[in-house]
Amino acid sequence: MCGEDGGNGRPYEPGSRKPIGPLSQPGYYAAFRTLDQQRFWDAKTREVILDRVQNAPPIRFFTPDEGKLLETICAHIIPQDDRDGAHKIPIVPWIDTRLYKDVHDGYRFADMPPDREAFRLGLRAIEEIADQLHQRAFICLDPIQQDGILKSLHDGKPQAGYKVWERMPVHRFWTMLVQDCIEAYYAHPWAWDEIGFGGPAYPRAYMRLDNGLPEPWESNERRYEWKAPDTSVSDLYEPKPSPIEHSAPHRKRGSA
Amino acid sequence: MKSPIFGEFSKLRGDSHMLGAMQRLETPMFRYGENDEVDYLIIGVGAGGGVLIQRLARAGFRVLGLEAGPFWDTERDWVSDEAGSHRLYWEDLRITGGENPLTLGSNNSGKGVGGSTVHWAAFTPRFHPSDFRVYSQDGVGVDWPLSYEELKPYYELMELELPVSGPAYFPWGDPHGYAFGPHPVGGIGNVLIRGCTRLGLRVSAGGPVGILQGSRADRPHCIYRGFCIQGCKVGAKASTLITHVPDAITHGAEVRSHCMVSRVHLGNNRRVTGVTYFDRDGREHFQKAKAVVLCSYAIETPRLLLNSACPDFKRGLANSSGTVGRYLMAQAGNVILGYFDELIRMYKAPPAGALTEEFYETDPRRGFARGFAIQTVGPLPIAFAKQMMSAQGAWGWGLRRIMMDYNHWAALGLLGEILPHPANRVEVAEETDQFGIPVAKVTFSLHDNDKKLIEFGKNKVMEVMSAAGANKVVQEARYAHLVGAARMGEDPATSVVDKYGRTHDIANLFICDGSILPTQGSANPGLTIQALAARAADYLISQGESVFISDKRNMERPPVRRNLSPSATWGHGAPRLK
Repeated sequence: MCGEDGGNGRPYEPGSRKPIGPLSQPGYYAAFRTLDQQRFWDAKTREVILDRVQNAPPIRFFTPDEGKLLETICAHIIPQDDRDGAHKIPIVPWIDTRLYKDVHDGYRFADMPPDREAFRLGLRAIEEIADQLHQRAFICLDPIQQDGILKSLHDGKPQAGYKVWERMPVHRFWTMLVQDCIEAYYAHPWAWDEIGFGGPAYPRAYMRLDNGLPEPWESNERRYEWKAPDTSVSDLYEPKPSPIEHSAPHRKRGSA
Repeated sequence: MKSPIFGEFSKLRGDSHMLGAMQRLETPMFRYGENDEVDYLIIGVGAGGGVLIQRLARAGFRVLGLEAGPFWDTERDWVSDEAGSHRLYWEDLRITGGENPLTLGSNNSGKGVGGSTVHWAAFTPRFHPSDFRVYSQDGVGVDWPLSYEELKPYYELMELELPVSGPAYFPWGDPHGYAFGPHPVGGIGNVLIRGCTRLGLRVSAGGPVGILQGSRADRPHCIYRGFCIQGCKVGAKASTLITHVPDAITHGAEVRSHCMVSRVHLGNNRRVTGVTYFDRDGREHFQKAKAVVLCSYAIETPRLLLNSACPDFKRGLANSSGTVGRYLMAQAGNVILGYFDELIRMYKAPPAGALTEEFYETDPRRGFARGFAIQTVGPLPIAFAKQMMSAQGAWGWGLRRIMMDYNHWAALGLLGEILPHPANRVEVAEETDQFGIPVAKVTFSLHDNDKKLIEFGKNKVMEVMSAAGANKVVQEARYAHLVGAARMGEDPATSVVDKYGRTHDIANLFICDGSILPTQGSANPGLTIQALAARAADYLISQGESVFISDKRNMERPPVRRNLSPSATWGHGAPRLK
């Protein structure tokens, strides 16, 4: 079956080309676990965060096929191939729940259909692009082809699905999709561990405010070099094209 | 897993309603009956409504505040968590369009007692004297119907009531000092101080910010946990929920939560008689009042007026001028992000850490009118990831990589003045909300001066970020705050309310929120909205009963009443552990 081999390729060490992981915790703060601090959090915060970790909601809005397609898409928008099976962070259930409950951020762009419709339209357009370019379903494509299609949305240059893009600007759909993935992934304590974010600190407080010092219960950074898998094109930062609100690197960094 | 040695922290005892870690709502709240007529009916208990209801209650009026959202219990309802804090924001549907559509919701709109002060970063600079005469001075925008000098005593009062922590000497605008000392500075504050200092720019460190630096009465001082805009569970950050509403309730006011007002009713003689609202179960009620004050902020206030159109006011209540909904403003709020080789950890300490107003005033050499401020921003992971998507087009492995460097990034914000324009406006759409009330449609576009200002300002913040030592600097275009859309002025043909917030058209209908601001300066509007509310209260109190029975307008300046501050304002020593 398509889309069930479970992998887009793992990131690797640049020198040895040895794959990284799968790890229980990627990132540069290997010893740090925010959840270990949960008894120092207030009761309500602990309840909300533990519920998030322990109870990913069921799929109620998307059909099984849509769910599988979105699962494949999200595995490119926030790839987790360096995480082991027990430590992958659910994303699709949270998008599904948002749409099922029909909640949003308090606004809709005048040129956008309602979010539920926008998602269905977007998924349809992605299938149309896959069919147009490769004559196969999106989930059956090679990872590099899948990444390529998503990059075309990112670039605002999709190669099919024009009927959909007439009803909905591609950059708005892309922004909503990536934002929803971000809202799910970076809401998870495992993602906080990965990036070295201290997490909740009430009532205990943060005490070391200066010079990037860790709290006694936080960890120091231990960096490692890694490269994204060769089957991916997403490890590039490219400003989105926008008529007046362009953003450009002001000064180049010496090394990545 | 480690545990606190003396047991876990719990402040949930019995039924007590918590407002921060130590403050409780102690007095039982007075409740008006279904058919009672109140003196002042306040729609929306946020920055403006919170201060106004407190003062009117102290002065002995019968006041009722209807609030669309919940009456927060900070221990039971709030969390130290980005994704878990959505309920603090106005998440009912609005339509946003124009050439530069504003993002709403968590960006600028609160719902619940305290309104947006619950999730503001609490930067509390005053407006400059020049902000009140923008047209006279620079030939753009419009002058205010009052001067800085008229508002100054109320700035001073509010700075003590919140209170505001800040430097002993604040050099810009009308130079002044703060009675409460500045906060220790975190990673991003250091970045702004370093960048400004290297460029020879003056900088204000550790404030002005409405966060306690030392404990006061039942409010503990800041613990630097960084979740200011997710609601301050500590009770250190000022919000009218904890600064003014408890005092209002002690003095007999009722604050009724989960009441969504759909219509203001006009009776005979062009006077309003009350409002219709929906309770949390969707039941419709009519509330009688001798006078109504709208404090629902720059989108909901005009929406309510437009939705209250009636035979006498076909274009919307109090809209004979056609300006209701027009001249909506947001400030340019570009976020400039810099990567540093060293660790910053910008999640620690309040996001409101330091600012500079060196570029606030018009400088003819720059080729545009008015100016901007530069302030610290401390996005938590979800907000930061979204900024990186927008600023760098990050997704996929690139997003994962950049997020692994989260602790190396610092964020500074541009806060730039956008001028009022009639085409930037709030209208009502055909679509309706969960109560069947037509939703707001917001249209926003930048104009020539705005674009030049943003281009210059953005580059200046990037220069400061580079001077601070950032190796790479990127930026995201965005907008902050909302004001205007029911502006005040002397001319009833071009404005909605007079300088005390009374609508030109209807003698017992007032507006007391950010929507009355004619221009907005480059200062965060919260303190000014609260100062205007305290001034409006002094005016209403001076008018006594005449507002309820007469259409006569007395425009005399009321005396400044310094005896109406909440009880904690004038020295109450250390917090009590109860």
